[in-house]
This record gives sequence, C-alpha cells and structure tokens, in this order.
Amino acid sequence: MNLMADILLNVTVAFFVGSILLGLQRKVMARIQMRPGPPIIQHMLHTLKFFIKETVFPRTAAMPFYVAITIILCAIWVAAVIIGPVTHGPLLLLFAIFAIHKIVEHNAGSSSGSPYGKLSCVRAVFSAAAELPLFAVLIIVFIQTGTMDLNGIIAYQAEHGALLFTLPLTAMIFIVLIISKSYYYSPLNITLARDIVSGFETEHFGTLRGFIMISEAIAWYMLLWIFLTVFLGALTPIEYLIAMVILTAIVGLINAVTPILNPNHSVMTEVTLAFIGIVGSLLMIFFL
Amino acid sequence: MDLSTLGGQFLGTIPLGDIVLYLTTFNLFMFGAALVFTAIIAMSRTESQVEAEFGTLNEREKKVSKDEFKIRRFLSIVCGLATAGAMITGDLFNFTLFVCLIGIVNIGIVAAVKEVDVLDSAFQYGIIAMIATLPLFGGAASILATTGTISLLELVNIPTSAFMLFSSILLFIGVAGESGVAPFFATKAEMFRTAGSPFLVIIHLSSLLVIVRIIEILLIINKPFGI
Amino acid sequence: MDQLKTVSWIIFIVSAAAILYALILNPASWIVYTISLVFIPLFILSLGLISMARGKKEDEEDKIKEPFIGY
Repeated sequence: MNLMADILLNVTVAFFVGSILLGLQRKVMARIQMRPGPPIIQHMLHTLKFFIKETVFPRTAAMPFYVAITIILCAIWVAAVIIGPVTHGPLLLLFAIFAIHKIVEHNAGSSSGSPYGKLSCVRAVFSAAAELPLFAVLIIVFIQTGTMDLNGIIAYQAEHGALLFTLPLTAMIFIVLIISKSYYYSPLNITLARDIVSGFETEHFGTLRGFIMISEAIAWYMLLWIFLTVFLGALTPIEYLIAMVILTAIVGLINAVTPILNPNHSVMTEVTLAFIGIVGSLLMIFFL
Repeated sequence: MDLSTLGGQFLGTIPLGDIVLYLTTFNLFMFGAALVFTAIIAMSRTESQVEAEFGTLNEREKKVSKDEFKIRRFLSIVCGLATAGAMITGDLFNFTLFVCLIGIVNIGIVAAVKEVDVLDSAFQYGIIAMIATLPLFGGAASILATTGTISLLELVNIPTSAFMLFSSILLFIGVAGESGVAPFFATKAEMFRTAGSPFLVIIHLSSLLVIVRIIEILLIINKPFGI
Repeated sequence: MDQLKTVSWIIFIVSAAAILYALILNPASWIVYTISLVFIPLFILSLGLISMARGKKEDEEDKIKEPFIGY
C-alpha cells in the first residue's frame, strides 16, 4: 500500500477508535457510579458537534499562536501515528512528542489570556516533572532489549516473550503515565482538572475545540497502542482492540474511584511511583 | 552501537570545522520543532491577560508594553535558535555552550517584567543556573580529559569507563540546573504567571527539548552492557 | 469573517492538493512525511473553518470583545 494511504488510514482508524474508547471510558465511569451514562459514541458526537460550531478569536488572544498551537497538537500526534503503526520507528521520538505535548498544553492555556488557561499553563510546567516516568521506561526498555527501535523491540519480544512479564514494574510506570494523560476526572491529570473548568482547552471553543478533541482521540489511541506494542509485542488488530478496551475500562475504573489530586500531590505521586518502578526494575534486571 | 540505534536513520553530518552537526530522524524532528516554534514566536502578538478586579464587576487587562515586547521577542528568538542548535550538534562542548546560553536568555526573557514574584523566581533560578555551570562544563571537560575527544560521533564507539559514568552524572546535574527541571522546577514555575505567552513558551520548550537531548547524549556516552 | 473564509478555502485547496499529490504520485518517503505532518492538520482545520456555523454580523464585535462571559 502507498505510504500516504497507509498514514491516512491509520490516522482515521486512530481517530475513530480513540473517540469510541473515550466514550467507553465515560460509560464505565457512569456505570460504576450506578447511573446509565451517555452512549458510547457520545464523545465522537461531541467532537463533530463542536467541529461545526462557530469559533471566534478573542481580542486578547496571542495570534497566530492561538490557532497555530492547535495545528501543532494535531501535527505531533500524526507524527506519533507515523512513528508507531506506519513505520515502527525510533521510540526516543515519542519522548520528544510527549515533551511537545506538554508545551502545547502550556501554550494553549496561556495564549488566550484567560485566567483558567493561565492556571493550566502553570500546572503544565509543574507536571512536566512527571515526564520522568517516561524517560525511565525508555531507558529500562533499552537496557533490557538493547534497542530503541520499535521493530527491534517487537523482534526481541517474538524471541524472549512479552516484556510485560520481564519488566512488570516498568509497565506499571507506563500505566501511571496513561492515567495522567486520560481525560475524564483523572486523579493525576492536573492540566485538565475540573477545578479549572477545562484547563487549557477552556478558551478554545467551537471548531478549534473540535479540532483539539480530534487530536486528543488520536493521542489516546496512540498512547494505548505504544503501551501494547512495547510490552506485549506485535498483536493482530482484533487483539489490539480487545486489549485497548480492557485498558480503557481499567483507566475508567481508576478515574471513577479516585479523587482528583491537587497539583503538588499529583506530581509527587507520579514521581514516587516512578521511583519505585525504576528502582524495582533495575533490581529485577540485574539481580534476577 | 551507533547513532542510529538511538535516533533512527542516520541522515548525514554538517561538518563546520571541528564542530560536526549530525542529523538523525530524532534530531531533525526536534530541530524542526524548535524552528517552527521560533518562527511562530517571531510573528506572534502577545496576549493580554484578563483578571477580575476586587469589589467591582470590571476586568483588568495586563498587557506587555511595546519596548518590553521588542526586547523579549529578540531574546525569545535567540533562545529558540540556541535550542535548535543544541538539538543537532555533535560536539559536547558546543552543546554545553548552547545550554548555558539558553539558561542566560531564559532569565533575560522574564527580567523585563515588572512583577515582583516573577522577578524573585527568576533571580532564584538564575542563582541555580550559575551554580550549575560548574558541573555542566566540568562534566564536558572531564569527558574530554578521560577520552581525549568531545565529539559525540567518536564517543559512541568508545567503551564506557567508570569515570565517563561519573562525568555524565555531572553533566546531567549541570543540565538539570541550567534548564530548571525538578527539583528546581518549583521556583521556575512562578516565572510563567506573567503575560507574554509566546515568550514563555520558548522557555518551557527549550527546557524540555534540552532534557530530551541530554538523555540521548547520556545514552551515547554510557552504553548499557553488551552493546 | 469573509477574510477568514477566503483564507480557509485557500488552505483547504492547497492541503487537499498536496495530500492527493502524495497519494497519487507516491514521491520519496521524506516528502510524504513532511506533507502529512504539515497538510493533514491544515486540511482538518480548514475543513472545520469552512463548515462552521456563522453568527449574525452585528453580534460579531461583541463576541470578539467579550468572549469570556459567554452567551
């Protein structure tokens, strides 16, 4: 298949599956709270609804950053799709993509001039300290497998078995990272916490909000895809789907039963869990 | 191990005399990202922060004045270009110089602001950045002393010794202090409460991209066993 | 708003053309990566700006001046 067609197909699949998974997360959370909850396609309906609503550019906004930052958000997650399902490229680039995602959270918040966005901007700076888990995951996977390339990691797992069983604590760190990036009432996601309305998305409304939601759906799919590929190896599409549904349900369960932590507690929780995971994984690699 | 193990396909080098810039997929992506942000900052307006007033229903706007805007924009562009240079350089000393420049310019970007909290936080950050230049340049110098080279393209082939590990720890401490990661972050976050969103984003971007790059450099210098 | 519509149409046509060029002519992979990184987001954004609803002309000034209080 043509490379461009491959990229377009994967981006479309990422958007649709990501939206349905986010809707599923809301459904799981609602059922735990003993209420029916919205239908599973609700997130996708919201995305499309916002996409066709009017957007205006506030007078106080920093143009063109206000619009450019939404374009950058989509571009980096399309880059993640290219590195992931399409080319199975270098994992270290994903670290760069997560870093730029933090920047997008920062700038989307501060570019509008609204106080809610400004709070989210400063929280994005705090929570960048919690990207420590990600680089620890990359380094530990590198120490264990000797390669930073997704192709190499898949080949290693085909030979030696899934990394989930040899590096369980590293997988735990990655799940903490996934929880910190989930959208609805996550205990560790302080930039999108409900006490600051919608955080950095608050003042992007209408089409721009729909655009951000599209990028977020792709981001959620890619997060889960990376976790599954790095820790379970290459799976068939049906296995990917089932595993993503299970992961989303687990994240929904955790989000439903935990409070939203305050920024300092959230960062310290992530750093503590990362520390336990790193030290434990290194001990397991060198002494087991 | 060679550079393509870490960064994806090795695309080539740009030799500028002794300082050789090299491009892999990874470096090129970060270089491109730094340049895109710098370009948008060069043509962006600043926002006006809207805050509620106490006792009335009015709002107050905090704007960036024209002179302040010009100097801060200039420093932001310098910061962006330094970040872009740090992303693709293959020379360790060149990298540490860029990081030092980023640290200085980060302080400069907020030094023009007239808010006391921000200036206090920038002052604290500046002190840490100054102290951190010792491990930063010391680490690079001791790598030169122990291996005889500061070119990353050669370091990737030299087997790791204990002193190289120690030097890279010094280097990491230096970069952590200069760019303001945790635990120095607590004070740096206060710098971001001021107006001038495009200029603040380059402070944050430079710190994060430098951290990503130092991880790659550390992995180049210290190879895990058997690689 | 008219300027916005014109600019969006231009961006839409340019990005659609670039994506079709990459699809049909199958150039070198680095060109395809650059086109997809730049033009897929621009395509989606311009599609949104073209298809979005428009309010009444006299309300426009109010919305830009006071967006934070909502309607």
